[in-house]
Amino acid sequence: MTITIKSPPWRVGVDVGGTFTDLVVADSDGRTEVYKVPSVPADPGEGVIDALLTACASLNQPIEKFLGNCQFFLHGSTVATNTLLEGKGAVVGLLTTTGFRDSLEARRGLRKDPWDHRTPYPPVLIPRYLRLPVGGRIDAKGNEIEPVNLDDVRIACATFRDEGVESIAVSLLNSFVNTSHEDAVAKLVRDENVCEWVSVSSDIVPIMGEYERTSTTAVNAYVMPRVATYLTALQQKLIDMGLKTKLLMLQSNGGAASLDQLIRQPVNLLLSGPSAGVGAMQHLATGIGENNLVSMEIGGTSCDVMLMHEGRVAITDALSVNDYDLVTPSVDIHTVGAGGGTISGIDGAGLMYAGPEGAGANPGPAAYGLGGTRPTVTDAHLVLGRMRPGPYAGGSVSLDMSLAEKALDTEIANPAGISRTDAAAGLIRIVEQNLLHAVERISIQRGYNPGRFILIACGGAGPMHGASVGRKLGARAVYIPRQAGAFCAIGMQHADVRRDFVQVVMRELNADTANVISEGYTHLAKQALEALQNEGFSEENTEFGYELDLHYEGQQWDVRVALDPDAMPDEIRTAFEIEYDRQFGHINPESRINIAKLRVVGIGKLPPLEDPKFDAVKVEVSPIERRPVYAESARDFLDTPIYRGADLSHGQGFVGPAIIEEATTTILVGPGDRVTVDALNNYMVTFVTED
Amino acid sequence: MDSKKVADKLDPVILALTQNRLDHISHQMGWVMVRTARSPIFSQAHDFSCFIAGPTGEVVSQADGIPIHTGSGGFGVRAILRDFGSELAEGDVYLLNDPWEAGGNHLPDWVIARPVFVDGQMVGLTCNRAHQSDIGGGAAGAYNPTATDAWSEGVRLPVIKLVEAGKTREDLWKLLMLNTRTPHLQDGDLRAMLGSTRIGMERVAALVEELGIDNAMDYFTGVLDHADRSVRAEISKLPDGVYEAEDRSDNDCFEIRDVTVRVRLTIENENMTVDFTGTDDQILGFKNSSLGNTYSAIYTALASFLDPNLPHNEGAFRCVDVIAPEGTIVNANEGAPTTMCTVFFAHEIIHAVWKALAQADPDRGCAGWAKNVFGISVGKEDSGHPYVFYHGAAAAGSGAVDGRDGFNQIGHVCTLGGLTMPNVEVYEQLYPVMFHRQEFRIDAAGPGKYRGGSGCDYEVDILTPATHSFRGEGLNYETGYGINGGKNGASGRMHLRHSDGEIEEAPKFGLRRTDTVRFVTQSPGGGGYGPPLERDPELVLRDWRDGIISDVTMRDIYGVVASADGKSVDSGATNALRGSM
Repeated sequence: MTITIKSPPWRVGVDVGGTFTDLVVADSDGRTEVYKVPSVPADPGEGVIDALLTACASLNQPIEKFLGNCQFFLHGSTVATNTLLEGKGAVVGLLTTTGFRDSLEARRGLRKDPWDHRTPYPPVLIPRYLRLPVGGRIDAKGNEIEPVNLDDVRIACATFRDEGVESIAVSLLNSFVNTSHEDAVAKLVRDENVCEWVSVSSDIVPIMGEYERTSTTAVNAYVMPRVATYLTALQQKLIDMGLKTKLLMLQSNGGAASLDQLIRQPVNLLLSGPSAGVGAMQHLATGIGENNLVSMEIGGTSCDVMLMHEGRVAITDALSVNDYDLVTPSVDIHTVGAGGGTISGIDGAGLMYAGPEGAGANPGPAAYGLGGTRPTVTDAHLVLGRMRPGPYAGGSVSLDMSLAEKALDTEIANPAGISRTDAAAGLIRIVEQNLLHAVERISIQRGYNPGRFILIACGGAGPMHGASVGRKLGARAVYIPRQAGAFCAIGMQHADVRRDFVQVVMRELNADTANVISEGYTHLAKQALEALQNEGFSEENTEFGYELDLHYEGQQWDVRVALDPDAMPDEIRTAFEIEYDRQFGHINPESRINIAKLRVVGIGKLPPLEDPKFDAVKVEVSPIERRPVYAESARDFLDTPIYRGADLSHGQGFVGPAIIEEATTTILVGPGDRVTVDALNNYMVTFVTED
Repeated sequence: MDSKKVADKLDPVILALTQNRLDHISHQMGWVMVRTARSPIFSQAHDFSCFIAGPTGEVVSQADGIPIHTGSGGFGVRAILRDFGSELAEGDVYLLNDPWEAGGNHLPDWVIARPVFVDGQMVGLTCNRAHQSDIGGGAAGAYNPTATDAWSEGVRLPVIKLVEAGKTREDLWKLLMLNTRTPHLQDGDLRAMLGSTRIGMERVAALVEELGIDNAMDYFTGVLDHADRSVRAEISKLPDGVYEAEDRSDNDCFEIRDVTVRVRLTIENENMTVDFTGTDDQILGFKNSSLGNTYSAIYTALASFLDPNLPHNEGAFRCVDVIAPEGTIVNANEGAPTTMCTVFFAHEIIHAVWKALAQADPDRGCAGWAKNVFGISVGKEDSGHPYVFYHGAAAAGSGAVDGRDGFNQIGHVCTLGGLTMPNVEVYEQLYPVMFHRQEFRIDAAGPGKYRGGSGCDYEVDILTPATHSFRGEGLNYETGYGINGGKNGASGRMHLRHSDGEIEEAPKFGLRRTDTVRFVTQSPGGGGYGPPLERDPELVLRDWRDGIISDVTMRDIYGVVASADGKSVDSGATNALRGSM
């Protein structure tokens, strides 16, 4: 491989995925290099170190020197998510208002698929015998109806000690309007010193709704000891090896924050990794001058879809991880079970299906030869000539054509009475329909027309489907980053530090509330500035976003608008009605509007990475080989040129059919699709003929 | 062409693409509805369903919607074809609600149906059935607990042509608006229904154009045939036989007396007959089921028992014969009050069918979901603003199945728990109420290898004078039945504590006006699955530590002994105790 990056200071992004750990190094000119090593699930930090050693070997540098020259070290880690998914969190005790200790387990009756009533809920994170009552009551307006009973707290702490509780959560009724009872309980719990870790609901997520607030606080308490211990140890190890900067963790909101700031709020890390796609989209939006983008990131098991409208990726509060319901600022990602390992077959009544079940990394697709016998997307691509047999994924597995053929014959072609080729092509069509529906869902459901967007195809498996899905979607173009297989690690290079602050308000929006808004904003902005100063930012490197969550009186769902902090109530009303109309197709001019929440988003700007400049090349490029590849539109194999990505430079392009083999992905260009390499050195596909 | 021949020539890939596409279209119709309707019930509770019918009125997709709406959409569509068959034209839209005249399920659920034309040929209809906020009748909000006939429940609509050749019939529109107390909501909701069916129409037309009309019709048939084969395959796994079961209510909305749904379920190869002969006569009150609602309840019971992934289209029902004698509570005569039927007697019908199915296949048996006990309180805030408060936080427990304990608190069985409970903090903001308790009950869960849901202890103060509408179906008798050796869940209890300190047992039905009052409710527990003595002692210990069962229940019902410190099972003592029981 030709090393293109040159001089420090380096900026490093590491994304630990289920299969691979991706490390991206950017140099002072903004040029990037990707390193992929297998993940080490038992000790993800080992994968991080492996990736670093691989990068250093390639750069021919001792690790101390390399780390010493790192200006920023950004990390996306699944440690919080895995702790939750694997049920390996702490023994947690919960203190809650007397009479209300079961909201965590009753879950408001929320279930994803009502028809599937046989599936139990995942285990409750805090057993009822460790959910203990504290007397005292705050009413809905914040008045104290009954003083808090601290003796109850002492009694509970004795139980917690006896039960070996490692982490304590506090969530009392109506604490979002008055924190005094929680404050008093939290202080006493800390004084009682049962354990090091205390999570208080009004600190973690001061929102209305005891179920979601308690659940979020419980998850935080549950994952905190393990996450804090693991990440602190990793940071120390890197410092011992020469790192001179703090570890910046990617949060679910797509922004970064230093480990020290996050250590008591690990619930913000549940989307750490996938959320970094936001940084990549923002960077691409600037680079290509388009701010309506939909990304489709496809890996081995699933596809994450994200939408950017006019330069903004929606941040939602609601996040569900394995049916644990959370409220934490999160990038709005819609995930479907469609990836390289998605399994296909014929059901008992003769209908063909593809997904949502996947073959995972092991056994993986049948062609891996690791024992899988059911055909997957990867097997179909192999049979259709789109992938080549032999070493794959950096040589970690080898693709065996005969096993793919056998799986397709046995599971689809023979029972359905169709040819192997039709089986493989059909499999891909069904998966691509699923991808198309996923993109339509995230756009139409939110009130956007997908035809106005550029589709970004990324993830290792995305560029194989991007052009085809984009054409069916009616997208204006499909954009394929050259390093599509490390989209999130690349995205980390472009992340800023971001901290979200929220305050519940519950006041009618009218001329009298202007001062309520301004006081609330001042308070939140002060918190945000402090947080950013603690991250080492001076005021001139910060930006603040001001948002209001509003609803019509009597409605229970909020519409969020972003405005200048000094916008007057009538301007706020207008902005709300424009957004409400866009989402719901009508407005209620007579209705009163309530302010539910104020939000301040604090951004600490990291120095932007320069975009490297690539000179345009005029020469024709030659394929490295030609082979028959199945084309859907021709319903046949076409003689197709195969290009090596490294041979393609800015300014070059051609009309498909073609295949481009990149280091981290393979790009399928259909007949009539025009592909060009743009000034960012990435691929843009446009459609020259109608489908 | 018969099904077999069609199936033979269909491409399995196109068939899959067609099925997925139809389901995607019905979801899209639902997104439009959620985004554009006015009443909170649609975005909050999703009390509507979108479906697509083929040209003969068979529903080919109902991917979007609540269980108790699934399985009856075709009745309304076929009424449209009956009344307007030859004159259906491009740009027409039809509206209906009447259970007897127009194939509706109950009066508040209105169906908007829009025929889809390609090249002048009618290729199907896109439909939206949605619960209206108010339809006139004797009580605001579409539920009139005192109704003894349909006319006191609201306006009855035959199939009417609401839009003709693209032009809304303003005279009819005004008629509808005059017959609701909430025209501002209904106007918006009907427009949202029109919009969602229009999107559906455009997408279905595009699909049919892509496939070609004849080909598309073959694939629509293929989609129905696939559902038919899927259900037949499931039914053929059940042993042939006749299985009889019943489930009862203890009241007719006015008096305490047993009212019973009786079912005789016959399985013969891959066919099933669900015969309600012997079921009690229709009652005076508003729980009588329409035929459409009875079909939906049967479908809900079947699909949830057999396989929740079975296709939700009408092909799934071809192998099921239903015999529902007229004049009974499962097929009430014209003019009977029916508004409550989507909850009760749907509940009793689902239970009866589940019980019969469990005789055919005990392993998949579903224990009973306790019937809810809560109603609504209606009053005025200090500001004079009227409010309607649902006591939804008092939800009951569900029954257990093999491998899963009952849900401790969950929505009605007719939604399979799809309606969620409120946060008490949110309700305290919205209504003049203050909660004092919402916690799982002790010893109320039906014991079993898998126990039922616990139900809850619920206490709330209503802080203004108010009128309360009682719906205490699950009060004072056990409704969450146990199965395969599992025991029944405890019955519900409710009393009112008046401002003068007087305590009054709550009525099961009817209206009551009070000053400020406290509701003290124990919602009922769901039924258990399998013998309690087979329950894993670790789970029993956990329930005991959790306060879901008492010392006595742990010992006498489950035969489990805890260690001295109460933190583990004393295996020796447990084995000895269980051996002696």
